[in-house]
Amino acid sequence: MDLKLTEEQRQIAGSVEQLLADASDSARMRRAAFEGEGFDAALWAQIGELGACGLHVPETHGGLGLGVTELVLVAEQLGRRLACVPWLESAVLAGTTIQSLNDAAVAARWLPSLASGERVFTQDIGLLASAPPAVRREGANWRLDGVLAVVPAAMAAQWLLLPVQAGGERLLLAVALDAAGVARQPRVNHDATRPVARVSLKNVQVPEADCLGRGAAVDRALERSRRLTAVVLASELVGVAQQCLDLTVAHLAQRVQFGKPLATFQALKHRCAQMMVTVELARSAVLGAAREFDGDPQEGRSLRLATMARCLADDAARYCTQEAIQLHGGVGFTWEFDPHLYFKRAQAARSWLGTPTGWREQLAAALLDGAAA
Amino acid sequence: MTADYEAFRAEIAAWMQQHLRGEFESIRNCSGLGDAGYDPKLAKRWEQALARGGWVGIGWPKEHGGRALPLAQQVVFHEEYVRAGGPGRLGHIGETLLAPTLMAFGTREQQQRFLPGILAGTEYWAQGYSEPNAGSDLANVQTRARLEGDSWVIDGQKTWTSWAHESDWIFVVARCEPGSQRHKGLVMLLVPLRQAGVAIRPIRQITGDSEFNEVFFDGARTAGSLHLGAPGEGWKVAMALLGFERGVSTLGQQAGFEREMACLIDVARRNGAARDPDMRQRIAQAAATLDALRCNALRVLAQDEAASGGVPVSREAYIAKYVWSNWRRDFGRLAADVLGAAACLPDDDPMAQKLRQVWLFSRSDTIYAGTNEIQLNLIAERALGMPR
Repeated sequence: MDLKLTEEQRQIAGSVEQLLADASDSARMRRAAFEGEGFDAALWAQIGELGACGLHVPETHGGLGLGVTELVLVAEQLGRRLACVPWLESAVLAGTTIQSLNDAAVAARWLPSLASGERVFTQDIGLLASAPPAVRREGANWRLDGVLAVVPAAMAAQWLLLPVQAGGERLLLAVALDAAGVARQPRVNHDATRPVARVSLKNVQVPEADCLGRGAAVDRALERSRRLTAVVLASELVGVAQQCLDLTVAHLAQRVQFGKPLATFQALKHRCAQMMVTVELARSAVLGAAREFDGDPQEGRSLRLATMARCLADDAARYCTQEAIQLHGGVGFTWEFDPHLYFKRAQAARSWLGTPTGWREQLAAALLDGAAA
Repeated sequence: MTADYEAFRAEIAAWMQQHLRGEFESIRNCSGLGDAGYDPKLAKRWEQALARGGWVGIGWPKEHGGRALPLAQQVVFHEEYVRAGGPGRLGHIGETLLAPTLMAFGTREQQQRFLPGILAGTEYWAQGYSEPNAGSDLANVQTRARLEGDSWVIDGQKTWTSWAHESDWIFVVARCEPGSQRHKGLVMLLVPLRQAGVAIRPIRQITGDSEFNEVFFDGARTAGSLHLGAPGEGWKVAMALLGFERGVSTLGQQAGFEREMACLIDVARRNGAARDPDMRQRIAQAAATLDALRCNALRVLAQDEAASGGVPVSREAYIAKYVWSNWRRDFGRLAADVLGAAACLPDDDPMAQKLRQVWLFSRSDTIYAGTNEIQLNLIAERALGMPR
């Protein structure tokens, strides 16, 4: 396995980094988060123009036809800036779910508008447990009733991918979020840069044509998407951790106490060094996992890779966000300084796509419970 | 990088299968001195077998008798070597540390005198850096060397010298300019160990075994021509030597860790530790982190390959020693917990024996070759650019 990045890959990361340095600096990110319901439509358009919404969508469906390595490179930059765009939800999560159904007609119908960024997709990932919606057949259509307690990016999205159980049958439906009977209510979220909403469905009609998949293929696609998205989420968390490290090193360099910069104290230097250790190890894990995901690894392998990336990035994000607050001292506890925004993102992300504990248990089962090796 | 070398992998595996047998059966899987059953005489014969097979100096330039294989192929060799149960390499210090330094700084005569013995597995080297008062503070070297006629005469003491009692020669950093301070006035000398002026005393380690030694120099002598680089520039040579270990064997080490992990899983399944929820979390975390170490090593190698020689050390390279040594130390404690009471009660189970060995030996991983604390200093000051 070769972990060298190509020139093109470095350029993609560089162009997103450059864009976000202005377009999602602290002030603009905060404006979008606290005055714009966590969605920066102008930035979303710019990201779409770069082609970033269709990075891993095949060219035949309007994407760039690139791979998971490109996804993680972009994700790290978005995480670093807490960019207020539903890229992970739409381009990565929903985009991968649709592709993983392996249905040419479904791909041709749904992927082009997703890849251009013209339509925002999201997916119900059951962030808070709620009763599954009731589904009933009505002629050629389905009717949905129920409440989804927390759906990410639901305010910005036009389409919601919703796995449901209809009688004995597993279905993946696309629900138009502007359809009659759909009501969306933003929920207060400490992780304001990744907004969520409550979605209630009252006798919502979903036409047959908006059923993307049925049966075992749905769960296979959802699991593949969960694993791949977990690797991309991990990269976002590497960005979160990296930014906390950078902010902390900069703060320690300029803050003078006892007549010298805090950065000269060995106790504090070692803390920063330990932050960097977690960041770089997590980055290596993410790059290694992404490189193997580019080759579409088999079932057991993808579990192991996703667990590695997810758990190490979680360690890095938790450690670095906590240390950033502590090492900023008093101002680290203020609203005005950024560490708390990263701290909240790191915590919120732990419940996404399976907790680190859950991933480890799944891996433990694979390592320890099978037939004797 | 791995897919390209299938034939090469098969060649190594076949060679190992053919040769690591018979009398060598007893040192298969041994990590080195300190492992019960690792017989140094046998280990040296094994080195000579490797040499005859053309497996020593595979990365050396052809003019020095090597095979000049590219980095990726050297990595493959180390991986397959460990996978086949190849024992710890007694010739490691000569082959990977001294030889490249000889090629860079040695005279033609020195190269011709010493490289063939390393290549053939007939001469073994020890490293004379640390002293009782020069550990992390290596520049505080106090061992003295003076030219007397056509000989260097050496007085002083080195310590933590691995395998000195099984080696023939030692490279010694010594102070050759009386009154000089720190990095100045040092010389790197090549000194025969088997002489009246040298006394070697094994140090008993927490494992109960002795791999390290104290080496006392009391009027020890070596030829006046056997300084490596100019007298006074020993520090430069000493640091360059440490830089030659470019992570080629890292993946061999990684393969060794993977075998230890498999061993732990085997024991945990047999003794029921695998059913404990907390243990399951720790084992999974250890496995995931071990995979990440491999990714980090591959990232370092990708950098090394992309730009060879004189490149600034990359961030992933700065963390490499810290992450693997701390992983292994944590793993050692996990191994002991998996063993339960058997951690302290030796028995005949070879798997359990291996885990007990890792439990204790891994405490040295975060100390030698730059302690955790020195690693964190380097990361903070060099990689993060924080002030000294």
